[in-house]
Amino acid sequence: MTRLKARFRCYSIAASTAIRERLTYAGNFHGAMLTYGLFVFIFSRVWAGAYARQSTIAGYTMAMAVWYFIIAEVPSFGMGRFFISLSQDLKSGQVAYQLSRPYDFVYYHYAERFGGSLADAGVIMVEGLVIGVLLLGGVPALDPAQGSGLAAEAGRAALLVLSLLLAGSLGFFLQFSLAMTAFWLEENEAFFWIYQKLMLVIGTLIPIEFLPAPVAAIAIWTPFPYLSYAPARIFVAFSWAEAGSLITRQLIWWAIAATLAKAVFARGSRRIAMNGG
Amino acid sequence: MIAIEAKRLSKTFSLRVRPQGRLATIRGLFSSTTRMVHAVKGAEFSVDEGEVVAFLGPNGAGKSTTIKMLTGILQPSGGTARVLGLDPSRERKRLAWSIGSVFGQKSQLWFHLPPADSFRLLGAVYELEPEVLKRRTGSLVERFDLTELMDVPVRKLSLGQRIRCEIAASLLHGPKILFLDEPTIGLDVVARKEIRRLIAELNQTEGMTVFLTSHDMGDIAKVCKRAIIIHHGEVVVDESMKTLKHRAMAMKYLGVRYASPTDTVLPGLQPVKHTPTSARYEVDTHKHSLREVVQALASRGELEDITIEDEPLEEVISRIYAAKSGAEASASIAAAKGGSHDQA
Repeated sequence: MTRLKARFRCYSIAASTAIRERLTYAGNFHGAMLTYGLFVFIFSRVWAGAYARQSTIAGYTMAMAVWYFIIAEVPSFGMGRFFISLSQDLKSGQVAYQLSRPYDFVYYHYAERFGGSLADAGVIMVEGLVIGVLLLGGVPALDPAQGSGLAAEAGRAALLVLSLLLAGSLGFFLQFSLAMTAFWLEENEAFFWIYQKLMLVIGTLIPIEFLPAPVAAIAIWTPFPYLSYAPARIFVAFSWAEAGSLITRQLIWWAIAATLAKAVFARGSRRIAMNGG
Repeated sequence: MIAIEAKRLSKTFSLRVRPQGRLATIRGLFSSTTRMVHAVKGAEFSVDEGEVVAFLGPNGAGKSTTIKMLTGILQPSGGTARVLGLDPSRERKRLAWSIGSVFGQKSQLWFHLPPADSFRLLGAVYELEPEVLKRRTGSLVERFDLTELMDVPVRKLSLGQRIRCEIAASLLHGPKILFLDEPTIGLDVVARKEIRRLIAELNQTEGMTVFLTSHDMGDIAKVCKRAIIIHHGEVVVDESMKTLKHRAMAMKYLGVRYASPTDTVLPGLQPVKHTPTSARYEVDTHKHSLREVVQALASRGELEDITIEDEPLEEVISRIYAAKSGAEASASIAAAKGGSHDQA
């Protein structure tokens, strides 16, 4: 077995083990499913009110806005708030075992967390599609200029999945980097609080087109739109060109965030302090 | 060949001290002071390949910190460590292939999954070929008697069963050194005995070097051939278990029971406990001849029973712990060593 193949096998088994653990209890999903369902319902009512006197807002119809919310919430529900558990593990020394293994700490966590989030995001995605179809009667129609038929639908679905995976990956590396601040700070939750709020405002609750133009112009240069806006936009207003551009920018941010996570870990792990057993 | 070597190994943690007094919280926002905690201070020792060494010390002595420096998890603040010829802090990943570790208060097994899943993942982590993993797992399952446990979710295992699985999991990749940080903590007598047997067996059959921290004297007396005692971050004792046990023999616990009330106070030796017809003494054989004490007690009245016991190892080590500083401990040990040699 080559080293590369062996490493890939290690990380893929870490991911599949995480999926298996998440699937051990159906109860693991009940809380998230209930919250998500409630959010979608509430937002659909909010949009119904907002769209009572107008048929479009910033180019979005009411159906598009509801579908947008359904998709935009999937990466956040999938990745969850692992920042808190990872920070706690660093502070309590629970990472001792993981630090004494021959794998790359960052990529191992990535595989493990990403595997777990696939199970969570998969369940939420199915729930969202069911709720969306029940509420709105069907998925957003494709613009005929972008093609029609099964091939075009399959293309949109494939790019949506790719964008969701990149959004989840980006979210992982950003949360991971923030969690690493536990190496320096006793209380680091403020960073995560700010991160969550920015993520919600910039592209999760509402499309960035809804933001004031100057804010949207700045927001597009931050990583936040690529955590939820990109996949949601690809789904509700699909165009090959825009999808390509969004996914390219997601890839760039993914590379930046992965490099940042590696650098912060390399620096922080030299400062690790764990007293006692 | 030397497996583990520590030279003037030190670890200092910086601890933030919150200001005291009125408005302390607000003042703390603008200024903070830090206190340096010297967890390990210039520890020096070496362990040969194939040795089973007990690394002892009271809570906060620096045992776990030392183990974490030796496994590359913590960076030393000073001094050097070499494990299997590697510098753990610089070559942590390389070293990881050759060492196994068990931290009794932490788990490496997936809590909701059966141990078989964790074994499969660890096999992949250590890049074991599937057939090698199968063979190693089979042999460890047999040796640690895990057949019935491999498919039970870890959360449903007893602590003893879980620790058996933890140790087996840490041996999957065939490490040359096993670091055990309080592996028997919280276990009942039967489970402790079983873990001790397995550790001894691993050392005897595979020649594995074992570095063990424990508070349980039974672990140490039964399994280890050598003890290193660390106190306030300094190594205060490094000697064979035989010598340590010999030191225990210097103090005798002597109990007598008479047929009728008897004066039990001997010149220069007060009983530590007594009733009109019985007494118990702690006889320091460096100061009193045991034979003379027994003769004197026998001459006081009609003896019904007499018992003589060695000082428990636990007490010997407690005396070392009780010393207020490393220097005091060293002095008392030096004195005891002198006496012990005389006795020998």
